[in-house]
Amino acid sequence: MAKDMTLLWGSGSPPCWRVMIALEEKNLQGYNHKLLSFDKKEHKSQEVLDINPRGQLPSFKHGDNIVNDSYAACFYLESQFKSQGNALIPDSPAEQALMYQRMFEGLVFYEKLNAVIYYKWFVPEEERHDSALTRNKEALATELKLWEGYLKKLGSGSYLAGKSFSLADVTVFPTVAYLFRFGLSAERYPVLGEYYALLKDRPSIKASWPPHWLENTKGQDTLKEI
Amino acid sequence: PCWRVMIALEEKNLKGYNQRLLAFEKMEHKSEEVMKMNPRGQLPAFKHGDKVLNESYAACLYLENQFKSQGNKLIPDCPAELAMMYQRMFEGLTLQQKMADVIYYNWKVPEGERHDSAVKRNRESLTAEIKMWEGYLQKTSGGFLAGKTFSLADVCVYPGICYVFHFGLCEERYPKLAAYYNRLKDRPSIKASGPPTWLENPQGQDMLKDI
Repeated sequence: MAKDMTLLWGSGSPPCWRVMIALEEKNLQGYNHKLLSFDKKEHKSQEVLDINPRGQLPSFKHGDNIVNDSYAACFYLESQFKSQGNALIPDSPAEQALMYQRMFEGLVFYEKLNAVIYYKWFVPEEERHDSALTRNKEALATELKLWEGYLKKLGSGSYLAGKSFSLADVTVFPTVAYLFRFGLSAERYPVLGEYYALLKDRPSIKASWPPHWLENTKGQDTLKEI
Repeated sequence: PCWRVMIALEEKNLKGYNQRLLAFEKMEHKSEEVMKMNPRGQLPAFKHGDKVLNESYAACLYLENQFKSQGNKLIPDCPAELAMMYQRMFEGLTLQQKMADVIYYNWKVPEGERHDSAVKRNRESLTAEIKMWEGYLQKTSGGFLAGKTFSLADVCVYPGICYVFHFGLCEERYPKLAAYYNRLKDRPSIKASGPPTWLENPQGQDMLKDI
């Protein structure tokens, strides 16, 4: 089953990481995968375009089923492999509702992170404004406070949807890991810091940790002042 | 986003839910009533008992999962259609983003930060995106986004398609999309929940006429 799967991915990309965590959680180790380089524009190679006409990573195929969007792939994997590995969608309606809600807020969270750390990647030089970057940083700070509050309300040791690890953690943890990699202060955001510490040694997460973060353990400090 | 949830509710035979129509122009989405349910001050704001689901995709997925056995089935069993459904649902978010980048440019970008180069780039990006969806409908047989059956992909993406035509997208240039749009507009759940202001004035602005 895993042998019929192919994942084309890039190191450190949160969307790629989400799919890899899901594959590990569902005991689908042994899937075919290839690490590609964004810097060398390998995401625009024919190999990728054959699976994903958008020329984006992740690109994921299971047999003839192509599911490139990371959230789509996570839902697909949980639905097709429900009975193996860890259950990633809670049965309890309340936990389920919270899981879905946080997953989709997670997309907003990720977008606000990118608007700060990848400002120069997305915005051509002539269109950049200090006012825009400042606004993006403020928006990220507001977003961070929301998540700090969400986790605080659930109590120490909780996952995003409550007592069990779920698709909400699969999809949002990579964003949280990225925040700390880029210098977010754990003193300023202690509850997020605790959540990060709770999950970073989870087997599926450790197994899929970005290789270039292991080679170079020092991150950046773009988010130090947020 | 609001329309998606309303279509889902209709499809699952959940008419009779309490609802309130609020006005963006009067900033009612920032009212205390909304903020209590949704600290982001955004619509839709949706609650089932004490479960809050403000994100439209979250609400749609939740409703299908909790009410699987009533109304129309919105997630196909066949793995190939299921895969296609999820893939198109999430590509639908990209379509929405690119649409918003064009239609709401002046709303989102302060005057001092606007650039013709950005407007041009956004329009080109939206054109490429719409061409992609035209291609998807050419290639997928069955008439719906995931194949032969109406699914969450249609629930989530149809409102966006309707929107681009409402803003003047040329039907002759995108015949498959136009056919999809026209075929689904009389589906009961869609007719029952169509945005009230549009029904009075079906032809809106023509911002996307040249896309």
